[in-house]
Amino acid sequence: MQAPSEGISLNSGLPQMIHLDLDIKDFCTDWTHCDLMSGYIARMVSHNRLDSLLFSNLYSSALNELLEAVYRTHGSSGKLQCAVQRDGNVDRIELTFPADEETYKVYEAAIAKVNGDNAETLYLEALFADAEPDASLGLLELGVDYGARLAIGRNEDGRMSLVAELVLEDDAE
Amino acid sequence: MIADNMTQAFQWTFNENDQEFSLHGSLRPQRADELNGCFSAMEQSVAKVSGKFYVNVRRLVRMNNVAFHAFAGKILDLVRSRSDLSVHVTTSSVVGWATRKFAVLETMSDKITVSEYDNEFYPGQSFVEDSEFIHVLRTQTKLTWRHEKELLRKHGLKPGMQVADICCGIGDFAVLLQKEFEPDRLVALDHSRSSLDYARRVAADFGIRGIDYVFGDAADMLLEDNQFDFVTCRHSLQVFDQPELILKELYRICKPGGRVYVTNEKNSHCLGEPRSESIQWTYNEVAKLWHHFDMDIEIGPKSRRLLIDGGFQNVTIGSFMVTNTDGDPQDFADVIASWKNLFAGKMAQERGDSPEFIERFAKGFDDHIFAALHPKGYAGWPIWVASGRKPL
Ligand SMILES: C[S@@+](CC[C@H](N)C(=O)[O-])C[C@H]1O[C@@H](n2cnc3c(N)ncnc32)[C@H](O)[C@@H]1O
Repeated sequence: MQAPSEGISLNSGLPQMIHLDLDIKDFCTDWTHCDLMSGYIARMVSHNRLDSLLFSNLYSSALNELLEAVYRTHGSSGKLQCAVQRDGNVDRIELTFPADEETYKVYEAAIAKVNGDNAETLYLEALFADAEPDASLGLLELGVDYGARLAIGRNEDGRMSLVAELVLEDDAE
Repeated sequence: MIADNMTQAFQWTFNENDQEFSLHGSLRPQRADELNGCFSAMEQSVAKVSGKFYVNVRRLVRMNNVAFHAFAGKILDLVRSRSDLSVHVTTSSVVGWATRKFAVLETMSDKITVSEYDNEFYPGQSFVEDSEFIHVLRTQTKLTWRHEKELLRKHGLKPGMQVADICCGIGDFAVLLQKEFEPDRLVALDHSRSSLDYARRVAADFGIRGIDYVFGDAADMLLEDNQFDFVTCRHSLQVFDQPELILKELYRICKPGGRVYVTNEKNSHCLGEPRSESIQWTYNEVAKLWHHFDMDIEIGPKSRRLLIDGGFQNVTIGSFMVTNTDGDPQDFADVIASWKNLFAGKMAQERGDSPEFIERFAKGFDDHIFAALHPKGYAGWPIWVASGRKPL
């Protein structure tokens, strides 16, 4: 496995809260799967937060962007896994999905933008560019607006992982 | 429990009078061209507008970046192509991402402004959030609970139910409910962050678990349809200029066959002996004062009509009187003292009342306190309780 970005580990060792496993082809038969899955998971993880509605709404928005990125950019066949975990007020989302070299490079470039010094400028540029947005817009928004920490890693089975760590609530109860 | 807005369609409306274009629902398209219908409606609308074009996204619950990218481009085009036009976007604080997301539009043009609506939502908010008022609410709940504990049962509340307390204030009623009725689930919603902070602190201090305190706008809640057996809304329809809108939301989140329970006052019916005339005069003035701020503190007996008009069945209404003989008369006196503080203080001043008026106005409260503490006196505060069943 390639070294993930600084400070964020790909194997967190935290207990799994939810783990979903499905074929990437099935996932990609219908765009609304992104919305359904993010809504479903957000609901499951929000019940014991300080403000469950606010939390769920934010969580769903963030997860949806990740899922939409995967929906658009992924390798041809294999499993999509979505694992979510929590440590205090840090929520960790890990998506593992099939990725060839080309796919991986797309994410590599996007993550480099997010983790770079001028992420905010790049976010605004992408937002107000005429061209249809690519995978990086959603990820940039997560980095800039949600303060998410993002990382990627390569799996030996030809898949890759995309990890986001988010703090959506100021202090946990 | 959270609204699944994939089932909530995306819609838009234009109000020509207000030059306001509103987006509602969930907006997570795969491609930007799915928004063409909305955009052409927006173009037609804006053609009729001069000066400021208002874009209202308060009820837009979800929006992905495909949509936002397209939308941002459109708004920018508008202000660039029409020199006479500026755009104001109104967001909601309840939808966590909205204000942050839309705020970037301001960085692109000084003809675009973005603000959060809810701050001005309801005329009396600043009065209610006042720390003194928190004390009033606590004492009030202490006094009303004695009566309501039994009434709630009569109106159909049972242990193990799914319950929501909308406009929960500082959450003390929810705590009492939780202890007495052990609901399976208890959501307590309010639109005041400071009250909710207080509520969460109190619950934590008392070791009360399981109350889900949520920030929300009662007129437009993110809660799903048809999920509560019992929905309470206490002393709150009276703080809105359009209580029907709140009732509609209470109806929506209530399960078919479940009940909505409301309590309301009619302040002009507060009474006391001795000194009844001065007391009477003051409470008539209280009603007018609230009216001045677009609130109706006289709703109590109107609750029945409100529920029936709201589509409820099996509507029952009754009233009880909190009095100085219920327990410690000092509690009653404390409530009146804090009303005096608020009504004859901040509110009367804000209306611009004369010192002479304020003096007489305050006197009625003092007399009410006098009656409450008088060894042979009697002082009362009537409350109307009504509930109705949502049809199956
Ligand atoms: C008179 S207090 C009643 C509070 C509580 N039910 C009680 O009996 O103590 C009215 C409450 O309505 C809340 N409120 C006002 N506008 C609201 C809105 N749009 N949505 C939800 N709550 C609102 C206020 O913050 C306040 O806590």
